[in-house]
Amino acid sequence: MRINPNPTDDLLAALWQTQQDQQTALQQLSSGKRVNQPSDDPAAAAIYSGNVATESRIDQYLQSVASLRALFQSADAALGSVVTALNQAITLGTEAANGDMNPDNLQQILQGVQGVQNQVLQLANTSFRGTYIFAGTATTTVPFALNGGVVTYNGNSGVNHVAIADGRTLEMNQAGDQIFQNASGDVFGSLQALITGLQNGDKTAIASATTAVGEALQRLNVQRTFYGNNLNQLNGDESALQQQNLNLKSQDNTLVGIDLAEAATNLSQAQTAHQATLSAAAQVLQPSLLDYLR
Amino acid sequence: MGGLTSSLMMAVQALIAEQGALSVTSNNIANVNTPGYSREAPTFTDNPPVQMGDLMFGQGVNLKSIDSIRDRLLELRILGETQQQSNAGAQLGFLNQVQGLFSNTSQNIGTDITAFFNSLTQLSTDPTSLPLRQAVLTAASNLAADFHNTVNQLDALTVNLNQNVVQSVNDINRLTSEIAKLNAQVGTLKSLGKDAGVLEDQRNELVNQLAQLTEVHVISTEQGDTITTGNGTALVVGGQSFELQAGTAADGAQHVFALGQDITASLTGGRIGGFLSVRDQAIPDGMKQLDDLAGGLATNFNTAHHGGFDLNGAAGQDFFAPITGTGAARNFALAITDPAAIAASSDGSPGSSGNITNLLAVQTNSLPSGKNPGDAYAALVFTVGDRTAQVKAESTASSLSLQQLQDQRQGVSGVSLDEEATNLIRYQHAFSAAARIITTVDEMTQTVIAMGSPTG
Repeated sequence: MRINPNPTDDLLAALWQTQQDQQTALQQLSSGKRVNQPSDDPAAAAIYSGNVATESRIDQYLQSVASLRALFQSADAALGSVVTALNQAITLGTEAANGDMNPDNLQQILQGVQGVQNQVLQLANTSFRGTYIFAGTATTTVPFALNGGVVTYNGNSGVNHVAIADGRTLEMNQAGDQIFQNASGDVFGSLQALITGLQNGDKTAIASATTAVGEALQRLNVQRTFYGNNLNQLNGDESALQQQNLNLKSQDNTLVGIDLAEAATNLSQAQTAHQATLSAAAQVLQPSLLDYLR
Repeated sequence: MGGLTSSLMMAVQALIAEQGALSVTSNNIANVNTPGYSREAPTFTDNPPVQMGDLMFGQGVNLKSIDSIRDRLLELRILGETQQQSNAGAQLGFLNQVQGLFSNTSQNIGTDITAFFNSLTQLSTDPTSLPLRQAVLTAASNLAADFHNTVNQLDALTVNLNQNVVQSVNDINRLTSEIAKLNAQVGTLKSLGKDAGVLEDQRNELVNQLAQLTEVHVISTEQGDTITTGNGTALVVGGQSFELQAGTAADGAQHVFALGQDITASLTGGRIGGFLSVRDQAIPDGMKQLDDLAGGLATNFNTAHHGGFDLNGAAGQDFFAPITGTGAARNFALAITDPAAIAASSDGSPGSSGNITNLLAVQTNSLPSGKNPGDAYAALVFTVGDRTAQVKAESTASSLSLQQLQDQRQGVSGVSLDEEATNLIRYQHAFSAAARIITTVDEMTQTVIAMGSPTG
């Protein structure tokens, strides 16, 4: 049986193959990836590209969550200060309605309540990163203005939504008039009534206005829970997003990553194969019959 | 006759025959590394005997012919496998470059699309912020730049492929004219009843090179071989070769013409087939997916953008230049440069982010092509990767089978130095023995001459 008398081509092909295997193993080991280009595993590469997009979205959602948290905290803090101020107004109003007050005392109380009104006005016009947070979506307009003792709302009733997960959005604000000029408890209206009552020295009016401030305070507390609830939800959403991110990363590793031990084994196997081929080549390329004929 | 003279003649014939065989061996050894060379073997025949009385006397040896040892069937199979292998090889080279455009997982069209929509999500947390609006425009122009970059690189590959097609056509023409010359010589020798061994080897080697360039069919006839392309366009008939021409066709690409007829579509095998398949299928396929993605994205986003109001309360204009169909990816561009013109608002007030929800929905809604933008990009990656993986597997498989066929061919036609060394000794010994006969006959003749001498 005649066989191929010149095995050099076969040998070279075998050497190239083992060299290629070595290179592949080395690349996988150094990049930590099994899929370094789409053709290594087209399906995995396609899924991976989707995962990369999702991970990037999650990173953005996490940023949005952080940004919303800061916004909600600042709104919540502002409303907290309003609560304190209103409590002070109620104390002053109750004092004026019940005690025997001389005009000087009433004047002092009036000034106190006017101070509260200004403070609440300022708080209602709170801005965060340059935009008014209680103005609905008209965030570039100062929402509340005091003109001739009457507070007017210049914002709107718009509500913004921010996406914080795929298919999930969170309301970003409440319209300012819902908080400060709600039909079931008007902060500015009741404060104004209290001021008018104090200016007129009308104890009945002062008493009813004080009750109205109390109602407005209750209403405000109800509205305030929006921010508290949302802050809680953000915490939940944040940990869900982080968990999702972890899951995706681990899926990525299964998809395109390589087990380091396996990669190292592959490399040493490829090296062994290459050396074996080299030594086989040395055997095969030994001298021919001509060397023995003298 | 059976006389001394006859023995002398036989010895001389033997010397000549062994010398001839020796020269075959030396030619074999000389060509041990010549590609495509088939070993030659001498054929000895004994001369017809002469009857003398009751006895038949052999009349020595004759070196009848020197033949190349080859398996024509095997050579045809090698031809077929060669064209497949170089086809896959040529495709793989370019497909690797194509998939290189989609290999970067941290910065590509897919991540650009996500980054663009992320910038919108970011804007929804603070719709009046000009820096955030500018970030949206920047992300959109990054996306446009990546579309352009990818398209430009595909264009560059197409230009390169066209050059390769022209080069291949030139190579084919050079080879066919050489083959035609050899064909004529082989035909002449064959008509004289001679083995055209070496010339045939040379021709086969050239045909093999031709098969690397395109699929060829070889039909052996009395007048020499006829070589045609896969679809039957004649390249060589006997001693005549027919040139192919490369020329720019209406679509701007290089097409191949035979006698004025466009045969581009029928050139499937070999390198030229590989170049054409990447140029006319793989790249246009990828380009179409990019166009669908770019056009669909621009159209859907513009529609959503029209539904909103910009920072100044004006109705949303086109965000991207309105593009669809072929060339969409090439012409993908922003239509606005003013960050205030982003229509984020749904009610006309600057602080509203209501329309961003609609803009973001473009990311998850299906494009006209039936997939959402992210999936469309993933599908593109899959198509490119899958095509490359298939060609890679094809290339590996045909390399292996070509290697096996070459092994088989070498088994039949390859020069074995061991064998030649053995033959060398055989012929040398036979030569020595024949020479010895001459010496012996000479001595015997001396004896005969001495018999008649008066002094003897």
